[in-house]
Amino acid sequence: MTYHATHDVDRLLASLARTITRLQPRQPLPPDRRRGPLRTHRFGHESDPEAGGSGDTAEADVLAAVRETAGDVHERLGHDHDVFAVELLGATGAGKTALLESLLGDEGPTPFAGERVGVVTGDVAGTDDADRLRALDVPVVNVTTGRDCHLDPERVDSALDDFDLDRLDVLVVENVGNMVCPADFPLGTDVRAVVVSPTEGDDVVRKHPLLFQVCDVAVLNKGDVAAAVGADVQRMADDVDHVAPETPVVRTSAETGAGIDELSAWLVDRRRERVHSHG
Amino acid sequence: MHELAIADRLLDRAVSAARDAGAERVDGLTVELGTATHLVPEQVAFCLDAVAEDTPAEGATVTFERVSARGECSCGWHGELETLAETVAGVPDRRCPDCGAEVELTAGRECRLKTVEIPEAPTTRKTDQTDQT
Ligand SMILES: [Zn+2]
Repeated sequence: MTYHATHDVDRLLASLARTITRLQPRQPLPPDRRRGPLRTHRFGHESDPEAGGSGDTAEADVLAAVRETAGDVHERLGHDHDVFAVELLGATGAGKTALLESLLGDEGPTPFAGERVGVVTGDVAGTDDADRLRALDVPVVNVTTGRDCHLDPERVDSALDDFDLDRLDVLVVENVGNMVCPADFPLGTDVRAVVVSPTEGDDVVRKHPLLFQVCDVAVLNKGDVAAAVGADVQRMADDVDHVAPETPVVRTSAETGAGIDELSAWLVDRRRERVHSHG
Repeated sequence: MHELAIADRLLDRAVSAARDAGAERVDGLTVELGTATHLVPEQVAFCLDAVAEDTPAEGATVTFERVSARGECSCGWHGELETLAETVAGVPDRRCPDCGAEVELTAGRECRLKTVEIPEAPTTRKTDQTDQT
Protein backbone atom coordinates (compact mmCIF):
# COMPACT_ATOMS: atom_id res chain seq x y z
CA MET A 1 0.00 0.00 0.00
CA THR A 2 1.39 3.36 -0.90
CA TYR A 3 0.42 6.86 -0.06
CA HIS A 4 2.29 10.08 0.07
CA ALA A 5 1.90 11.63 3.47
CA THR A 6 5.13 13.50 3.37
CA HIS A 7 4.45 16.56 1.36
CA ASP A 8 7.16 19.01 2.09
CA VAL A 9 6.16 20.80 5.27
CA ASP A 10 7.38 24.20 4.15
CA ARG A 11 5.52 23.96 0.89
CA LEU A 12 2.37 23.00 2.75
CA LEU A 13 2.65 25.80 5.23
CA ALA A 14 3.29 28.23 2.40
CA SER A 15 0.25 27.09 0.48
CA LEU A 16 -1.86 27.18 3.63
CA ALA A 17 -0.68 30.71 4.21
CA ARG A 18 -1.57 31.63 0.66
CA THR A 19 -4.99 30.09 1.09
CA ILE A 20 -5.54 32.07 4.25
CA THR A 21 -4.31 35.24 2.55
CA ARG A 22 -6.86 34.83 -0.20
CA LEU A 23 -9.59 34.99 2.43
CA GLN A 24 -12.02 33.57 -0.05
CA PRO A 25 -13.62 30.23 0.56
CA ARG A 26 -13.04 29.10 -2.98
CA GLN A 27 -11.52 30.69 -6.01
CA PRO A 28 -13.40 30.32 -9.27
CA LEU A 29 -11.66 28.08 -11.76
CA PRO A 30 -9.28 29.97 -13.99
CA PRO A 31 -10.85 30.40 -17.45
CA ASP A 32 -8.52 27.94 -19.16
CA ARG A 33 -9.54 25.26 -16.67
CA ARG A 34 -13.16 25.37 -17.76
CA ARG A 35 -12.79 24.50 -21.36
CA GLY A 36 -14.50 21.48 -22.76
CA PRO A 37 -17.18 19.19 -21.48
CA LEU A 38 -16.57 17.13 -18.36
CA ARG A 39 -17.12 13.50 -17.61
CA THR A 40 -17.58 11.85 -14.28
CA HIS A 41 -15.40 9.02 -13.09
CA ARG A 42 -17.13 6.89 -10.46
CA PHE A 43 -15.34 4.87 -7.84
CA GLY A 44 -16.46 1.36 -7.04
CA HIS A 45 -18.34 0.63 -3.88
CA GLU A 46 -18.36 -2.42 -1.67
CA SER A 47 -22.16 -2.61 -1.67
CA ASP A 48 -22.40 -1.81 -5.36
CA PRO A 49 -19.48 -3.45 -7.15
CA GLU A 50 -21.19 -3.16 -10.54
CA ALA A 51 -21.44 0.62 -10.35
CA GLY A 52 -18.36 0.88 -12.50
CA GLY A 53 -15.18 2.66 -11.57
CA SER A 54 -12.32 0.94 -9.92
CA GLY A 55 -11.41 -1.29 -7.10
CA ASP A 56 -12.49 -2.11 -3.59
CA THR A 57 -13.72 0.11 -0.79
CA ALA A 58 -10.28 0.89 0.60
CA GLU A 59 -9.17 2.17 -2.77
CA ALA A 60 -11.70 5.00 -2.72
CA ASP A 61 -12.30 5.36 1.03
CA VAL A 62 -9.30 6.85 2.76
CA LEU A 63 -10.51 5.96 6.25
CA ALA A 64 -11.25 2.38 5.20
CA ALA A 65 -7.69 2.28 3.86
CA VAL A 66 -6.36 3.42 7.24
CA ARG A 67 -8.36 0.66 8.93
CA GLU A 68 -7.03 -1.86 6.42
CA THR A 69 -3.44 -0.85 7.15
CA ALA A 70 -4.19 -1.09 10.87
CA GLY A 71 -5.37 -4.62 10.15
CA ASP A 72 -2.02 -5.36 8.50
CA VAL A 73 -0.17 -4.06 11.57
CA HIS A 74 -2.38 -6.25 13.73
CA GLU A 75 -1.48 -9.28 11.59
CA ARG A 76 2.19 -8.51 11.84
CA LEU A 77 2.15 -8.06 15.61
CA GLY A 78 -0.38 -10.57 16.81
CA HIS A 79 -0.24 -13.32 14.23
CA ASP A 80 3.30 -13.22 12.88
CA HIS A 81 5.05 -12.41 16.15
CA ASP A 82 2.59 -13.14 18.96
CA VAL A 83 2.95 -9.65 20.43
CA PHE A 84 0.12 -8.22 22.54
CA ALA A 85 -0.29 -4.54 21.70
CA VAL A 86 -1.88 -1.75 23.72
CA GLU A 87 -2.44 1.83 22.61
CA LEU A 88 -2.63 4.62 25.19
CA LEU A 89 -4.21 7.84 24.01
CA GLY A 90 -5.55 11.00 25.53
CA ALA A 91 -4.68 14.64 25.97
CA THR A 92 -1.28 15.92 27.00
CA GLY A 93 -1.29 16.00 30.78
CA ALA A 94 -3.80 13.18 31.21
CA GLY A 95 -0.98 11.14 32.67
CA LYS A 96 -0.39 8.54 29.96
CA THR A 97 3.34 8.35 30.57
CA ALA A 98 3.01 8.20 34.36
CA LEU A 99 0.39 5.49 33.98
CA LEU A 100 2.68 3.54 31.73
CA GLU A 101 5.47 3.92 34.26
CA SER A 102 3.13 2.42 36.87
CA LEU A 103 2.20 -0.46 34.58
CA LEU A 104 5.82 -1.23 33.75
CA GLY A 105 7.32 -0.50 37.15
CA ASP A 106 8.34 -3.07 39.71
CA GLU A 107 6.00 -1.98 42.48
CA GLY A 108 2.75 -3.79 43.08
CA PRO A 109 0.94 -6.01 40.59
CA THR A 110 1.96 -5.30 37.04
CA PRO A 111 0.29 -6.85 33.99
CA PHE A 112 3.53 -7.54 32.16
CA ALA A 113 5.85 -8.68 34.93
CA GLY A 114 8.72 -10.71 33.55
CA GLU A 115 7.74 -9.99 29.96
CA ARG A 116 9.69 -8.28 27.25
CA VAL A 117 7.97 -4.96 26.64
CA GLY A 118 8.65 -2.45 23.90
CA VAL A 119 7.25 1.06 23.64
CA VAL A 120 6.47 3.30 20.70
CA THR A 121 5.89 6.94 21.60
CA GLY A 122 4.41 9.49 19.26
CA ASP A 123 5.40 13.11 19.65
CA VAL A 124 4.74 16.15 17.52
CA ALA A 125 8.28 17.17 18.41
CA GLY A 126 10.85 16.17 20.96
CA THR A 127 11.48 13.01 22.94
CA ASP A 128 10.50 13.87 26.53
CA ASP A 129 8.20 10.91 26.97
CA ALA A 130 10.62 8.57 25.26
CA ASP A 131 13.43 9.66 27.57
CA ARG A 132 11.29 9.05 30.65
CA LEU A 133 10.41 5.58 29.47
CA ARG A 134 13.94 4.62 28.48
CA ALA A 135 14.77 5.15 32.14
CA LEU A 136 12.60 2.07 32.78
CA ASP A 137 15.06 0.03 30.76
CA VAL A 138 12.65 -0.92 27.97
CA PRO A 139 13.35 -0.41 24.27
CA VAL A 140 11.62 2.76 23.12
CA VAL A 141 11.14 3.98 19.58
CA ASN A 142 10.13 7.60 19.28
CA VAL A 143 8.08 8.60 16.26
CA THR A 144 7.98 12.30 15.50
CA THR A 145 4.78 13.05 13.65
CA GLY A 146 5.68 16.57 12.53
CA ARG A 147 2.65 18.40 11.25
CA ASP A 148 0.33 15.48 12.06
CA CYS A 149 -1.34 15.45 15.43
CA HIS A 150 -1.69 11.68 15.62
CA LEU A 151 0.13 8.47 14.86
CA ASP A 152 -1.06 6.46 11.91
CA PRO A 153 -0.70 2.74 11.21
CA GLU A 154 1.95 3.33 8.52
CA ARG A 155 4.19 5.09 11.01
CA VAL A 156 3.66 2.37 13.60
CA ASP A 157 4.50 -0.24 10.99
CA SER A 158 7.77 1.56 10.22
CA ALA A 159 8.56 1.89 13.92
CA LEU A 160 8.18 -1.88 14.28
CA ASP A 161 11.18 -2.32 11.98
CA ASP A 162 13.32 -0.97 14.82
CA PHE A 163 12.34 -3.81 17.16
CA ASP A 164 13.27 -7.46 17.13
CA LEU A 165 9.63 -8.56 17.25
CA ASP A 166 10.54 -12.17 17.93
CA ARG A 167 12.06 -11.00 21.19
CA LEU A 168 9.04 -8.96 22.25
CA ASP A 169 5.96 -10.07 24.21
CA VAL A 170 4.13 -6.79 24.63
CA LEU A 171 4.10 -3.53 22.72
CA VAL A 172 2.69 -0.32 24.15
CA VAL A 173 2.02 2.57 21.79
CA GLU A 174 1.68 5.95 23.43
CA ASN A 175 -0.09 8.21 20.96
CA VAL A 176 0.36 11.94 20.55
CA GLY A 177 -1.48 13.97 23.19
CA ASN A 178 -4.70 14.69 21.34
CA MET A 179 -8.35 13.84 21.91
CA VAL A 180 -9.70 14.34 18.40
CA CYS A 181 -7.52 13.17 15.58
CA PRO A 182 -6.57 9.65 16.78
CA ALA A 183 -10.24 8.60 16.75
CA ASP A 184 -10.15 8.16 12.98
CA PHE A 185 -6.76 6.44 12.97
CA PRO A 186 -6.70 3.01 14.60
CA LEU A 187 -3.16 1.66 14.82
CA GLY A 188 -3.75 -2.09 14.82
CA THR A 189 -3.27 -2.71 18.54
CA ASP A 190 -5.33 -5.28 20.47
CA VAL A 191 -6.51 -2.65 22.92
CA ARG A 192 -7.13 1.08 22.65
CA ALA A 193 -7.15 2.71 26.07
CA VAL A 194 -8.17 6.35 26.42
CA VAL A 195 -6.76 8.14 29.48
CA VAL A 196 -8.43 11.28 30.81
CA SER A 197 -8.01 13.27 33.98
CA PRO A 198 -10.32 15.56 35.96
CA THR A 199 -7.93 18.44 35.28
CA GLU A 200 -9.36 18.48 31.75
CA GLY A 201 -12.78 19.26 33.22
CA ASP A 202 -15.43 16.69 34.08
CA ASP A 203 -17.17 17.33 30.76
CA VAL A 204 -14.17 15.94 28.87
CA VAL A 205 -16.01 12.73 27.98
CA ARG A 206 -19.03 14.36 26.42
CA LYS A 207 -16.78 16.73 24.53
CA HIS A 208 -15.08 13.78 22.82
CA PRO A 209 -17.72 11.07 22.52
CA LEU A 210 -16.34 9.51 19.33
CA LEU A 211 -13.01 8.76 20.97
CA PHE A 212 -14.71 6.87 23.78
CA GLN A 213 -16.77 4.97 21.22
CA VAL A 214 -13.69 3.69 19.39
CA CYS A 215 -11.74 2.80 22.53
CA ASP A 216 -11.89 -0.46 24.49
CA VAL A 217 -11.43 0.99 27.96
CA ALA A 218 -11.69 4.43 29.52
CA VAL A 219 -9.14 5.17 32.22
CA LEU A 220 -10.20 8.01 34.52
CA ASN A 221 -6.80 8.91 35.87
CA LYS A 222 -5.67 11.33 38.57
CA GLY A 223 -8.70 10.59 40.71
CA ASP A 224 -6.72 11.98 43.66
CA VAL A 225 -6.90 15.54 42.30
CA ALA A 226 -10.60 15.53 41.36
CA ALA A 227 -11.77 17.30 44.51
CA ALA A 228 -9.03 19.90 44.24
CA VAL A 229 -10.11 20.91 40.74
CA GLY A 230 -13.82 20.63 41.53
CA ALA A 231 -14.43 17.78 39.10
CA ASP A 232 -17.00 15.03 39.49
CA VAL A 233 -15.43 11.72 38.49
CA GLN A 234 -18.79 9.98 38.78
CA ARG A 235 -20.15 12.32 36.12
CA MET A 236 -17.25 11.33 33.84
CA ALA A 237 -18.00 7.66 34.41
CA ASP A 238 -21.72 8.22 33.74
CA ASP A 239 -20.84 10.04 30.54
CA VAL A 240 -18.75 7.12 29.31
CA ASP A 241 -21.70 4.85 29.99
CA HIS A 242 -23.91 7.25 28.05
CA VAL A 243 -21.79 7.72 24.92
CA ALA A 244 -20.14 4.28 24.81
CA PRO A 245 -22.25 1.81 26.82
CA GLU A 246 -19.89 -1.12 26.38
CA THR A 247 -16.64 0.67 27.13
CA PRO A 248 -15.57 -0.27 30.68
CA VAL A 249 -14.34 2.43 33.06
CA VAL A 250 -11.32 2.05 35.33
CA ARG A 251 -10.51 4.75 37.88
CA THR A 252 -6.84 5.12 38.58
CA SER A 253 -4.25 7.36 40.10
CA ALA A 254 -0.75 6.87 38.84
CA GLU A 255 0.27 9.07 41.76
CA THR A 256 -1.20 7.00 44.61
CA GLY A 257 -1.31 3.71 42.74
CA ALA A 258 -5.07 3.40 43.16
CA GLY A 259 -6.75 1.34 40.46
CA ILE A 260 -3.53 0.21 38.82
CA ASP A 261 -4.22 -3.36 39.92
CA GLU A 262 -7.70 -3.19 38.38
CA LEU A 263 -6.32 -1.88 35.10
CA SER A 264 -3.63 -4.57 35.20
CA ALA A 265 -6.22 -7.28 35.72
CA TRP A 266 -8.31 -5.95 32.86
CA LEU A 267 -5.28 -5.96 30.53
CA VAL A 268 -4.37 -9.49 31.60
CA ASP A 269 -7.93 -10.60 30.82
CA ARG A 270 -7.86 -8.99 27.42
CA ARG A 271 -4.62 -10.70 26.66
CA ARG A 272 -5.98 -14.06 27.70
CA GLU A 273 -9.05 -13.51 25.51
CA ARG A 274 -6.83 -12.69 22.60
CA VAL A 275 -4.80 -15.85 23.01
CA HIS A 276 -8.06 -17.81 22.98
CA SER A 277 -9.59 -16.03 20.03
CA HIS A 278 -6.42 -16.47 18.00
CA GLY A 279 -6.14 -20.13 18.94
CA MET B 1 -5.46 19.06 12.04
CA HIS B 2 -5.79 15.53 10.74
CA GLU B 3 -7.86 16.86 7.85
CA LEU B 4 -4.53 17.63 6.19
CA ALA B 5 -3.49 13.98 6.25
CA ILE B 6 -6.91 13.03 4.91
CA ALA B 7 -6.76 15.71 2.18
CA ASP B 8 -3.37 14.35 1.03
CA ARG B 9 -4.82 10.91 0.63
CA LEU B 10 -7.97 12.07 -1.16
CA LEU B 11 -5.87 14.15 -3.52
CA ASP B 12 -3.61 11.21 -4.39
CA ARG B 13 -6.59 9.05 -5.18
CA ALA B 14 -8.34 11.69 -7.25
CA VAL B 15 -5.25 12.52 -9.30
CA SER B 16 -4.28 8.93 -9.95
CA ALA B 17 -7.86 8.03 -10.92
CA ALA B 18 -7.85 10.92 -13.38
CA ARG B 19 -4.52 9.78 -14.82
CA ASP B 20 -5.77 6.21 -15.10
CA ALA B 21 -8.73 7.55 -17.05
CA GLY B 22 -6.43 9.47 -19.38
CA ALA B 23 -7.18 12.92 -17.97
CA GLU B 24 -4.54 15.43 -17.00
CA ARG B 25 -6.55 17.39 -14.52
CA VAL B 26 -9.31 17.08 -11.96
CA ASP B 27 -12.02 19.74 -12.08
CA GLY B 28 -14.15 18.50 -9.23
CA LEU B 29 -14.56 15.76 -6.70
CA THR B 30 -17.38 14.40 -4.59
CA VAL B 31 -16.63 12.93 -1.18
CA GLU B 32 -18.93 10.87 1.02
CA LEU B 33 -18.25 11.77 4.64
CA GLY B 34 -19.71 9.81 7.53
CA THR B 35 -21.02 11.50 10.64
CA ALA B 36 -19.20 9.03 12.89
CA THR B 37 -15.82 10.52 11.99
CA HIS B 38 -13.99 13.54 13.29
CA LEU B 39 -13.77 15.05 9.84
CA VAL B 40 -15.43 18.39 9.24
CA PRO B 41 -16.37 19.10 5.59
CA GLU B 42 -15.27 22.74 5.66
CA GLN B 43 -11.88 21.83 7.06
CA VAL B 44 -11.31 18.99 4.61
CA ALA B 45 -12.25 21.36 1.77
CA PHE B 46 -9.86 23.99 3.11
CA CYS B 47 -7.01 21.48 3.33
CA LEU B 48 -7.76 20.05 -0.11
CA ASP B 49 -7.53 23.54 -1.51
CA ALA B 50 -4.11 23.92 0.06
CA VAL B 51 -2.61 20.56 -0.91
CA ALA B 52 -4.06 20.69 -4.44
CA GLU B 53 -2.08 23.78 -5.28
CA ASP B 54 0.43 23.06 -8.07
CA THR B 55 -1.16 19.69 -8.72
CA PRO B 56 -3.55 18.61 -11.51
CA ALA B 57 -6.40 19.15 -9.04
CA GLU B 58 -5.63 22.79 -8.32
CA GLY B 59 -8.82 24.82 -8.12
CA ALA B 60 -11.05 21.74 -8.25
CA THR B 61 -14.45 22.09 -6.61
CA VAL B 62 -15.20 19.78 -3.71
CA THR B 63 -18.68 18.55 -2.88
CA PHE B 64 -19.49 16.63 0.27
CA GLU B 65 -22.31 14.19 0.83
CA ARG B 66 -22.93 13.47 4.48
CA VAL B 67 -23.51 9.82 5.31
CA SER B 68 -25.64 9.27 8.39
CA ALA B 69 -24.51 6.75 10.95
CA ARG B 70 -26.41 3.48 10.80
CA GLY B 71 -26.15 0.50 13.07
CA GLU B 72 -27.37 -2.97 13.83
CA CYS B 73 -27.94 -4.60 17.18
CA SER B 74 -27.74 -8.20 18.34
CA CYS B 75 -31.42 -7.90 19.33
CA GLY B 76 -32.32 -7.52 15.66
CA TRP B 77 -32.79 -3.77 15.47
CA HIS B 78 -31.14 -1.95 12.62
CA GLY B 79 -31.47 1.52 11.21
CA GLU B 80 -30.27 5.08 11.32
CA LEU B 81 -28.85 6.17 14.67
CA GLU B 82 -30.03 9.19 16.59
CA THR B 83 -27.43 11.78 17.43
CA LEU B 84 -26.25 12.35 20.99
CA ALA B 85 -27.79 15.31 22.74
CA GLU B 86 -25.43 17.64 24.63
CA THR B 87 -22.44 16.77 22.48
CA VAL B 88 -20.93 18.24 19.38
CA ALA B 89 -23.38 18.02 16.53
CA GLY B 90 -23.73 14.81 14.64
CA VAL B 91 -22.07 12.26 16.90
CA PRO B 92 -24.20 9.12 16.77
CA ASP B 93 -25.90 7.69 19.83
CA ARG B 94 -24.60 4.13 19.90
CA ARG B 95 -27.34 2.82 22.17
CA CYS B 96 -29.93 0.58 20.57
CA PRO B 97 -33.33 2.32 20.69
CA ASP B 98 -34.98 -1.05 21.36
CA CYS B 99 -32.79 -2.69 24.00
CA GLY B 100 -30.15 -0.11 25.03
CA ALA B 101 -27.15 -2.27 24.11
CA GLU B 102 -24.32 -0.81 22.05
CA VAL B 103 -24.97 -1.27 18.35
CA GLU B 104 -22.42 -2.10 15.66
CA LEU B 105 -21.88 0.68 13.14
CA THR B 106 -22.78 -0.30 9.58
CA ALA B 107 -22.37 3.17 8.07
CA GLY B 108 -21.00 6.53 9.08
CA ARG B 109 -17.25 5.92 9.17
CA GLU B 110 -16.57 6.66 5.50
CA CYS B 111 -14.43 9.27 3.88
CA ARG B 112 -14.87 8.01 0.41
CA LEU B 113 -14.08 9.51 -2.92
CA LYS B 114 -17.28 8.97 -4.86
CA THR B 115 -16.66 10.73 -8.17
CA VAL B 116 -14.12 12.92 -9.86
CA GLU B 117 -14.96 15.35 -12.64
CA ILE B 118 -12.43 15.17 -15.43
CA PRO B 119 -12.24 16.53 -18.97
CA GLU B 120 -14.24 14.65 -21.60
CA ALA B 121 -11.29 13.85 -23.84
CA PRO B 122 -7.64 13.51 -22.89
CA THR B 123 -6.30 17.04 -22.93
CA THR B 124 -3.05 18.27 -24.29
CA ARG B 125 -1.46 20.52 -21.73
CA LYS B 126 -1.10 24.05 -22.99
CA THR B 127 2.07 25.70 -21.83
CA ASP B 128 1.51 29.01 -20.16
CA GLN B 129 4.63 30.61 -21.57
CA THR B 130 5.21 31.31 -25.19
CA ASP B 131 8.11 29.44 -26.67
CA GLN B 132 11.34 31.10 -25.76
CA THR B 133 14.26 29.35 -27.33
ZN1 LIG C 1 -30.95 -3.90 20.57
